[in-house]
Amino acid sequence: MMLFKRLSKKMWPPVINTNLTGEFIMGKSTGFLEYERKPIPDRLPTERVKDWNEIHEDFEEDKVRKQGARCMDCGTPYCHTGMTLSNMASGCPINNLIPEWNDLVYQNKWREALDRLHKTNNFPEFTGRVCPAPCEGSCVLGVIEPPVAIKSIECSIIDKGFQEGWVKANPPQSRSGKKVAVVGSGPAGLATADQLNKAGHLVTVYERADRIGGLLLYGIPNMKLDKQIVQRRVDLMAEEGVEFVVSTEIGKDLPAKKLIEDFDSVILCCGATKPRDLPIEGRELNGVHFAMEFLTKNTQGLLELKDITAFETAAQGKDAIVIGGGDTGTDCVGTSLRHGCKSITQLEIMPRPPEERAEDNPWPEWPKVYKMDYGQEEAKEIFGADPRKYLTATKKFIGDESGNLKSILIHEIEWKQENGRFLPVEVPGTEQEIPAQVAFLAMGFLGPEDIIAEELGLERDSRSNLNAEYGKFSTNIDGVFAAGDVRRGQSLVVWAINEGRAAARECDRYLMGETSLP
Amino acid sequence: MVDLGVTSYYLVNSDEIQIKIVQGAKPGEGGELPGHKVLPPIAKTRGTTPGVGLISPPPHHDIYSIEDLAELIHDLKNSNVHARVNVKLVSEVGVGTVAAGVAKAKADVILVSGYDGGTGASPRSSIQHAGAPWELGVAETNQTLLLNDLRSRVVLETDGQLKTGRDVAIACLLGAEEFGFATAPLVTLGCLMMRVCHKNTCPVGIATQDPRLREKFAGGADAVINFMNFIAEEMRETMAKLGFRSINEMVGRVDKLELRNAVDHWKAKGLDYSKILYRPNVAPEVGTFCQMKQDHLIDRSLDMRTILKASQSTIEGGQPVTIDLPVVNTDRVVGTITGAELSRINGPDGLPDDSIRVNLVGSAGQSLGAFCPKGMTFTVEGDTNDYCGKGLSGAKIIVRPPKDSAFVAHENIITGNVCFYGATAGEAFIAGVAGERFCVRNSGVSAVVEGVGDHACEYMTGGSMLCLGKTGRNFGAGMSGGVAYIFDEDGDFVSKRLNREMVKVYPLVECDDDEILTVKNLISDHVKHTQSARGQDLLENWDSFSSKFLKILPEDYERVLLALKKAEERGLEGDDAVQAAFEENVAAGH
Repeated sequence: MMLFKRLSKKMWPPVINTNLTGEFIMGKSTGFLEYERKPIPDRLPTERVKDWNEIHEDFEEDKVRKQGARCMDCGTPYCHTGMTLSNMASGCPINNLIPEWNDLVYQNKWREALDRLHKTNNFPEFTGRVCPAPCEGSCVLGVIEPPVAIKSIECSIIDKGFQEGWVKANPPQSRSGKKVAVVGSGPAGLATADQLNKAGHLVTVYERADRIGGLLLYGIPNMKLDKQIVQRRVDLMAEEGVEFVVSTEIGKDLPAKKLIEDFDSVILCCGATKPRDLPIEGRELNGVHFAMEFLTKNTQGLLELKDITAFETAAQGKDAIVIGGGDTGTDCVGTSLRHGCKSITQLEIMPRPPEERAEDNPWPEWPKVYKMDYGQEEAKEIFGADPRKYLTATKKFIGDESGNLKSILIHEIEWKQENGRFLPVEVPGTEQEIPAQVAFLAMGFLGPEDIIAEELGLERDSRSNLNAEYGKFSTNIDGVFAAGDVRRGQSLVVWAINEGRAAARECDRYLMGETSLP
Repeated sequence: MVDLGVTSYYLVNSDEIQIKIVQGAKPGEGGELPGHKVLPPIAKTRGTTPGVGLISPPPHHDIYSIEDLAELIHDLKNSNVHARVNVKLVSEVGVGTVAAGVAKAKADVILVSGYDGGTGASPRSSIQHAGAPWELGVAETNQTLLLNDLRSRVVLETDGQLKTGRDVAIACLLGAEEFGFATAPLVTLGCLMMRVCHKNTCPVGIATQDPRLREKFAGGADAVINFMNFIAEEMRETMAKLGFRSINEMVGRVDKLELRNAVDHWKAKGLDYSKILYRPNVAPEVGTFCQMKQDHLIDRSLDMRTILKASQSTIEGGQPVTIDLPVVNTDRVVGTITGAELSRINGPDGLPDDSIRVNLVGSAGQSLGAFCPKGMTFTVEGDTNDYCGKGLSGAKIIVRPPKDSAFVAHENIITGNVCFYGATAGEAFIAGVAGERFCVRNSGVSAVVEGVGDHACEYMTGGSMLCLGKTGRNFGAGMSGGVAYIFDEDGDFVSKRLNREMVKVYPLVECDDDEILTVKNLISDHVKHTQSARGQDLLENWDSFSSKFLKILPEDYERVLLALKKAEERGLEGDDAVQAAFEENVAAGH
């Protein structure tokens, strides 16, 4: 009976295409020879830095369908695998059924493609915009040619879904009577809430910020993910019965123990929000900020229609330095440019990646190659060069007499192996002082904050993340689960969705004794 | 194995000849090369027409019993006495019994193939749901061969996704001494297991003829060598651990295999593996690995006794020779060893026609003139058995009744079944009726005969066939190339005997004059060679008989011929014309 239920819910009717002789066919077998990779284009850098709207243009159906035709219907596809190779994701961590919806898009079956996409992904409109797309890194076509534009196809499917009004609130038919509290409203929290709500539980999501969305809202700037898109999904979930409580920090405004008393289960999805600091001389100067502080204030200002350049963090007219070469660093670059900074420099301690895959970085690993993200592209357009300085470290922040940042002292480094570990070593004579009135630290996150863990006495692992085995997600306290960055450490939105979904399944099993959640 | 494009020269240059009875990944199925992949160079090697699909049906039309298989093994051994003959079987219940028969049929090597291999061209349903693992087949085959004391005369080989030295060690302990690899080395060459081998779109340029994709091929032989070195090294380590010095010591030592009790999968519970790990209790003198060669009785052949010696100077110097001999039906495969020698020395083009004339009187045994190359002519006064002219690659075969015979030639059988099977070139004039399956898989012989049994011209891909008398049922099934002319005296050929699935029928009188003349000339040649009364009668009364001649032409073949004609009219010649015709054909979606 269970089997039938599963089948009827998830796999029936199967989307299978056959030709006249009954042979199973998918995709256009010569598509990759006929069409070139063309993702949804971005707006011109010089134009887009003038506003805070999303950087990419709207999709065009016919063009996206051709991109779908490039999918080769691989006998052994990798795009959906979500393996971890050399500590990096290879293939989609939420196992999106990529070849299937590529083909459905090619065949102009957008509605079916949307259904297929929603089977594995609660929020394709987020991943279609912000995911670094490990699926494309492991795409088999990538072995010989640029990979299929999977991310653009995903984004088009969900955008069309919303355009056509196919994405509607679909509240559960019946309620289980169980109550679950979710702490944190980032991608993991939202995914787990969405899944648990589908299973009929009453879910309350607690968020300490004034709005729902976590890093999706305040961590990622508007030009990458429009905040209306986040709100649209939150509204849908609210309509489906998920309760959202904002401006309530668990452990501070409301004891975590209270949640355990009031709810049948608690899922902690509060992220790895403790930023890595740079404890060097001058760190205390005015103008040295954590990246998140900058980005949060900026988005808050935008949402409240305030003058964002009036904040003390603002980069308008200043020489801005971004320390850290990751996605958050890029977001700081893009945001600074939109503020109208005088100059922008991004410091990266790692060497410049090669143009093509290195020998030790073969397909289907995530390709560690030189890329221009949107922020660097814009900086290059405006100031004439890639703002990144590789193999560069900061020695000290230098202030003026009133305690404001004036410049920073940087130097080149080289990586030397000592006792089997690679360490950065200063290259003598490369010291350089560059002007800076504002500096943003975007060097990643160390782990979750302590407050809830300490209150409840939750076990932590060696990297200070909550100790909960992947796949089970249960902490040392009965009925308390952990998912997302709080358990895994800083990572991708897709991993957060993966963990949120899976933790919901385990929570459902805990509550009901069995589960039909995937 | 007697497949498309197998010639004497091809056989004589091989080290091992495999008779593929069945394939591990798709047991019981054949293969098909779609027309759009039969490019001119492919067609050339296969001896067929570019743009016309090639069907490899699952049955061998020359093998319907273990005796037939024994005959084919013998024929192939004659075609190259230095090559090993390998018979490929697959793992299944009872494969041991089959293998025992194959060992008695004198195969040098028996291959037991497992189900895990296969290219992407195999149907998905078969790859995933058909066949059995090689472990079962090897164990059963080894045990059966041991029990019958046959193991010491054959090499037992296995394949079907062997991927590691551990696989090799297990295969060896279960009883195999040779091991085949295909998928794993392909992967080291860059194969991504796309499963599109049949679509011509292999993105890494391995299973494709598309020059754009072949350019992408990034593999090299060094990768395969590297991989095989790893396999060998792992095997060596395992052997060292187990204390074996050689493969031969290790073969069949199932006592060195231990059952892993840790397997707790619910499907594996309750299974009894002891029969796989059983070692038959045989006498100490029973050999447990291949220790002796099969006796193929090559020395007893007519060739080794006389023909080869008599034609040695012709083969080496070219002076024509005529050899007159009596023949009896125990003289099998007459001429093949001589033909092989001729090919070995003179190359694929052979010698000028009629350089070696072998005139036989009596009843020739099976496989007369099999695989014989250009330059040889056999004239038999009497009759011939089955497989006459099998795989003929350029020789001429004439069979006629004795001059003083009293019967009506075109009403009596003169040659057996499966004549000119898989023949690639040559001429045949048969003054009498042939048995069943005449000219099956013929790709180049021009044959004249006075009547045929059932299934004539099945899967024919080229050449021509002229029948001056009655045919059997199911004529031209799966025929994709070549042309047949039938004298339809009773007017019931099309309605009762033709398989119309793939062919078109035209009255000969509606064809152009050249073609009518060609048919007439063929009859004249037939009369000249055989003094056929039937032929003479037809020629003398041509005006009244010509309207009863039919031309049978496969549809696909006709389309390509027309395209070729058009290309030639545009002024193209030779390979260019062929290429243009092929491209037009593919563009039209065939």
